[in-house]
Amino acid sequence: MEDFAQPIVNGILLGGLYAIIAIGMSTMFGIVKLVNLAHGDLMILGSFLSLSLGTWMGIGPLWTLLLVVPIMYFVGFFVQGFLLNRVLGKEMEPPLLVAFGVSIILQNLLLMIYTPDARSLMTDLAVKTIPITSYLNIPVIYLLDALIGVAVITILYLLFQRTYLGRAIRAASDDEVAARLMGVNTRNIYAKAMGIAMMSAGVAGVLVGMTFTFYPHTGPQYLIIAFGVVVIGGLGSMKGTLAGGLILALSQLLGAQIFGPGYQLFCGYVVLLIVLAVRPQGIFGTV
Amino acid sequence: MKKAIYNSRWYVLAALVLILGIVPLMGDQYLLFFCMLFFLYLALAQMWNLLAGYSGLISLGQQSFVGMGGYVVAVMSNYYGVYIWLGVLLGGVFSALLGLFMSLFIFRMKGVYFAIGTWIFSEALLIWFSNWEYTKYGMGLFIKPNPNISMTEIYYASLIVGVGSVALVYGILRSKLGLGLMAMRDDEAVSETMGVEVFRSKLYCFLIGAFVTGSTAGILYIFQVFIQPYKAFAIDWTVKLVFIVIIGGIGTLEGPIVGAFVFVLLSQTLAEYFSVSMLILGAIAILVILIAPKGIMGTLQEKLGFEILSPRRK
Repeated sequence: MEDFAQPIVNGILLGGLYAIIAIGMSTMFGIVKLVNLAHGDLMILGSFLSLSLGTWMGIGPLWTLLLVVPIMYFVGFFVQGFLLNRVLGKEMEPPLLVAFGVSIILQNLLLMIYTPDARSLMTDLAVKTIPITSYLNIPVIYLLDALIGVAVITILYLLFQRTYLGRAIRAASDDEVAARLMGVNTRNIYAKAMGIAMMSAGVAGVLVGMTFTFYPHTGPQYLIIAFGVVVIGGLGSMKGTLAGGLILALSQLLGAQIFGPGYQLFCGYVVLLIVLAVRPQGIFGTV
Repeated sequence: MKKAIYNSRWYVLAALVLILGIVPLMGDQYLLFFCMLFFLYLALAQMWNLLAGYSGLISLGQQSFVGMGGYVVAVMSNYYGVYIWLGVLLGGVFSALLGLFMSLFIFRMKGVYFAIGTWIFSEALLIWFSNWEYTKYGMGLFIKPNPNISMTEIYYASLIVGVGSVALVYGILRSKLGLGLMAMRDDEAVSETMGVEVFRSKLYCFLIGAFVTGSTAGILYIFQVFIQPYKAFAIDWTVKLVFIVIIGGIGTLEGPIVGAFVFVLLSQTLAEYFSVSMLILGAIAILVILIAPKGIMGTLQEKLGFEILSPRRK
């Protein structure tokens, strides 16, 4: 049991991080029925933005959030407004492929600017731990990830439930034509929704950068994590997203504990494929 | 006039294939190399086109079969001394078997779920192969062909898969299976009511695609000599195929031919600047989807009403 205490605690905390990585994608999936294949790369863009801003202004990663989050809003707004909105509605393939194109462009742009070296956002939190027992420590950075993750998801939930923008977004997602008849500019609303989704991705990017190393090519890896969380948790459900994050992170870390660290990601994928095959609508989703 | 051109198309095509057949005799190494890459990418892209353009299966996991085909060739010739072309065929067979296994999971998914499901499978395979002692972990394998083969032989093999893939898809589309596929693409529910076996047709296409992709990858890796999981199972493969098919025209037989030519030309010209070439590929793909969603050949066909290889019966 002592061997498993640490992976379980880490898995639960990491679940919060996974949930915030996924929440933006889940939101867009729910609203526009769009799978943003560039989600992971846009999130990594957030990490690199924070890196540049941090070194340029000499501030810590958490402070860069003040700039990264608004910048990411505009990035999301433009990607949706100028690219994805144009191909919405016809068939499923064009938006998927445009997003794929954005992903390739971003990856290679980052590669050109930042070289393929491993980067991380330096913070003294990364090495601190809170000792609980002789065999169990809580890494401060994981705790921070989980807390911020839960906080961001709660804020998004309130935004969607309580504000006019949130109601308009939900209306546009439920019935686009009716929403337009009620005076909602749905295309503009989609762009704003993507902006909001990218704000959460920006936060996720900074947290990921503080917790792990990242490269220009790590985007797809996080896209799969995000997709896994969305699939396990079910679409458009905030609770489901949190639960999905927990399940995926726990299966990865427990898998690594049992089969060796090389199989950490592999175990996550296997759990994901099993869930997909058995319940394609997700554990918490309805058909 | 138009009819005369149309009727003589088989002779023109045969002459073209014949000319491509004597390329190794011309002695131009660059031309040989260029045509070989063209055929290999044509075969891979035509298979993605068969899936995405005709069967409604957007697969983002073609690299599973690329890696499988390459690794089977490497393992067979290095460990068991299997005759190299037999190894290539076995690569196709193993890829089809892998496809059959994958179908247990991913054929329950639809649309986007299917796309990501195939991708996750490839990622899982990547990790599996990089942790597998049998395939030398992530260090990769050098392929030692048995017997030693010349560039010319590799060229003819790629010519066969390249031309063969076009002929195969043409044949499929003219068959009952193809008729069902096109009916499915237009309206799945109606075609199912009319007696098209949707599930089985899709599965056949997926397995055919896996087989051809696997064998083509085998030839490609004989040429490349070295195989490594991080490259063989990388999403980059599918990126390239998507690009080729989109540029050329998805759901047309000629599309992948034009697309593969443009792709090989672009990637050879920009070979020194790898990330720039990928960047340009991505940008061109987006532009094409926004401006001419049917690609080069699709748009031309719409404007001119002329198809060289029409799957329709006249």
